[in-house]
This record gives sequence, C-alpha cells and structure tokens, in this order.
Amino acid sequence: MKAALAILTLALTLPLLADEGKKKPFSAALFEKKYYFSALNEFFVETHNREIINDDLKLLEDLLYYTGIELLEDYDSDLLRKYPTSSTRFILGRQALQQKKYKDALDLFMKIHPDHRYYPEGKLLEAQVHDQQGKVSERGEAYGACVSAAEKSAKEAKTEKIQRYYVMVSEICQVNKARHLFKIEDYKASLDAYDKIPKKSYKWPYLLLEKAWVYYQLGDYNRTLGLLTTYKSPLLSTYFFPEAEYLAALSYFRLCLYEDSLTIINQFYQVYRPRFQALDSVLKKNRHSQSYFFNLMFRPEADLKTQEDFVRQIVIRMKKQTRFSLDFNAIHKLTLEEKRIAQTEKPLIRSKLLPHLEEVKSNMMAKINYNSKTDIFQFLDSIPFLSQELFKLNLEIISRKKDLVYMNKRLIADRGRGDYDNVKRSRFEQFWTFEGAFWADELGDYSLGLKSNCQTLRNELKEEE
Amino acid sequence: MKVLSFFLSLYLIGEVYGEEQKVIYQYKKYEKFDLGNLEVKGQLIAPGDISVRERERRRFELDLYSRKDFDAFIRKDVESLR
Repeated sequence: MKAALAILTLALTLPLLADEGKKKPFSAALFEKKYYFSALNEFFVETHNREIINDDLKLLEDLLYYTGIELLEDYDSDLLRKYPTSSTRFILGRQALQQKKYKDALDLFMKIHPDHRYYPEGKLLEAQVHDQQGKVSERGEAYGACVSAAEKSAKEAKTEKIQRYYVMVSEICQVNKARHLFKIEDYKASLDAYDKIPKKSYKWPYLLLEKAWVYYQLGDYNRTLGLLTTYKSPLLSTYFFPEAEYLAALSYFRLCLYEDSLTIINQFYQVYRPRFQALDSVLKKNRHSQSYFFNLMFRPEADLKTQEDFVRQIVIRMKKQTRFSLDFNAIHKLTLEEKRIAQTEKPLIRSKLLPHLEEVKSNMMAKINYNSKTDIFQFLDSIPFLSQELFKLNLEIISRKKDLVYMNKRLIADRGRGDYDNVKRSRFEQFWTFEGAFWADELGDYSLGLKSNCQTLRNELKEEE
Repeated sequence: MKVLSFFLSLYLIGEVYGEEQKVIYQYKKYEKFDLGNLEVKGQLIAPGDISVRERERRRFELDLYSRKDFDAFIRKDVESLR
C-alpha cells in the first residue's frame, strides 16, 4: 500500500517537476524583465513556424499594449495573419485600405472586438471604406459608432494622454460627418455638426478655415472674413494657411471691395511667396536625406533662418499630431530599454538584443523623417496652386474695373466701412464690437459688418466750363 | 566654222555658270541710326482728353476656385493618427 501511495505521489509530482524544469520561452523571460520591444521580436522568432495557441495571442496583445502597434507596420502581412488578434486585424485592415482592397479591409475592421482599445479608430477607418464604396448610411452608422465608442473609452481612460487620443478620434469622426454634409451641400447641417467641436479642442483652429468655406457657400462673406480674422490673433499665430488668404481675398471680391482684395493679393506676392520659394529651395536640397527632416523637428537649421518662422509654425503643428507623439514616445521607450540592457545584462544577451533595438529605433526615426518631409512638402506644394488662383482673381478684378470704365459707371463708394446691420447672426450668437484686442472666449465668433459694394452708379458727364 | 561656233558656245555657257558661282551675298554687319535726326513728315495731333466709347464689353469670366469638398482633409486626419 505504501509502495502504491509512493508511486501515486511520484506520478502526480513528476509533471509539476517537469513543468518547473521546462525552460521558459526567452520572450516570456524578456517580458518579465519589461524588455517589451526585445520580447516582441523574440516572440515572433519563437512562434512564426509553429501552431499558435491562445496563450500566444494573449502574450502578443500584452506586448503590443506596451510597444504600440506602429512596429508591426514593418512586419510581413502574411506573418501577421497567423495571429488573429484585434491589434493585428487593425494593422492589416489599414494596409488593405491603403491598397484599396476594400472588402478585405471591411472584413478585418468588422472583427475588431468592441472592447478593444482600437475599436473606435477601427470604426473611423471602416467609415472610410464605406465612403469609398459609396455606402452613405453605413458610413453614417460607422461614424456614429466611432463617436460613442471613443467617448466611452475617453471616460474610462487611465491617463490624460490616452484620454486625449480618444477625444481626438471622437472629434475626427464628428468633423468628418460635417465634411460629408458640406460635400452634399447641406451647409446649415454642416455648420451644426462643426459647432459640436469645442473651442478648446486641438482640432478647432483647423476647423475655422472649413467653417469659413461653409459660410462662403452660404453667401455670408462677412462671417467668412470674421472667422479668418481669428487667425490674426496672437494665440493662433502658428496657424498660417495660404488657403485662408485666398478665401479672404475671394470674399472681399464677392463684396466688390476690390481694393481690400488686391491688398491681400499683393501681400501674398510680396511677402509670403518669396519666403516660400526660398524655403522650397533650401528644403529640396535635402529631400533625399534620411535624417534632415527628423532633426528639423527639434532644431531648425541656420540656413533656414530667414524662413524660420514658417518652419517653426509647421513643425509646431506637426508635433501636436498624435502620430508624432506615438512615434516619438516609441523612440524614447526604445532608448530606455537599450540603456537598461546595456547596464544590466551580460555581453551575450547584449549582443543578441541591442542590434535589433538599434534597427527598430532607426526605422522609427526614418518614419518621423518621412512624415515630416511629406507634411512640409505638401504644405509647400499647395503654394503654386493658390498663387495661380490669386493671379486669376487679380485678373478678374482688373476685368471688372475695366467693365466699369467701359460702361461709364463707378461702384457705390460712399458707404460706411462697416455696420451692425450687415452682420447676420442666429439667435444663439452673441454680439460685441471689436475693440482692438482678441479675447479668448470671442475667438471664432467674429463677423465683419461690411456692406456689399456691388451697387454701381452712373458717372455724370462733366460739362466743359 | 561649225567647230569654231561650237567651241564659242561652250565658252559662253562656261562663263554663265562661272558667274553664277561667283555671286557672294553679304549682310550689313553694322548700321547706325540717329533717331534724333529722323524726320517724320505730317501733321502732329494729340487727343485733348482720355475718353472711352461707352459700350458693353464681351466678358470671359474666369472660373475662380471654390472648395466643394474636404476629402483631402479627411485623408490627412486619418494619417495624422498613426
């Protein structure tokens, strides 16, 4: 009996001993030491050629929580398909959307779990797919789901940064609704949708230009000009949009205030355009550099000194993007992990882990370099188009002036410069006169009170004395 | 006599061709105009005032750019997230 009991005890303990004796996977050991980036790489090395079990998927999701999913962009999509998690589906869906494989993209986005942290952003991308397929009601539903899921996640967020990210996603979905309403020319509904974005939002300064276009299409040129005036406030000095200059000149033109329109056109040609051209020539010299634009994000160089303001403004705006924060944060975490490994691990481990980390870091820096280069050149590329449009506007003003001469007429010029009667406002909008100072609570609510100058008078012939 | 006239004809034809080959065209390399000394004959008249005959002009209105959608902004916003 004793022998039987001994055998039974041995039989029960052996598997436990075997488990303890079994070597823990290297990726799990690295995860325990909080070397998350190294662990992620080892995880794929260990699992890519074997069957994936639920524990693998759980470990992958845990790792991606710390590293972020940006690194997965560099992995082969066939490899990622082996790991059916919400994070990998999100990345693969994004890639399918970029490759215009809309059916695949939709399948992948639909499979993201509603409690997953990428669900709201997945809904935003899902709406893009529906938009490309022309499915209007599905697009609306996806945006609605995006807003409510992002708001819920923002309330439950543990840190301020995460909360800010969800607020941003929610606002982009809300703004996209307004943009689609603008496209179908439902301007009033579009304005209502824009008004749901609070003034303290990071997106708000960008939306002033869009709202100004909505008012322009409604024919309220005074409100358009008032909204664009907001960009002149010191608080928004980093927000310079050439399109805002064009829209202001166009609005003055529609009010037949030709001299005001010409003032803006001349300012653009004499002040901004030469600076843009100089900036363009300096930046184009470095367009193939792998680090120039990355460095520019932190320290504008001496040869950009005269155009420094513009560069600084663009750089500040780019630094406020979620994408930059995520990439820069990844670089920071990678550097910390490298330091810890260099200080605490044995040479064999160091030589195994550090080269990979260095490579990942260099890829992230190249990504920031590429993104900042793209953003800067997209900004500069918009200049020739707007410059050409301003030139056309200039020609049209000259033509209108010639018309007046040929028809022996003149514009009604004895108007007052502005009047409250010319200000259109809804019953929810307040009115204060502008006293030469920008008040934060008034920003975005300005309207000019200019009377249209399009009425013409006939010139009377002067009788010879 | 026939032989003589034959040789004479040959000589004359040769002379004609020879003259054609010798023609050399030359262009003026330099010419000076003294505008101050140029005289224009006629009656000097000038308008008393600047006037335009009143009329409707044929108008070609330019197609000025007016934004119809924000599709590019939508794409950019999505890209700005990651």
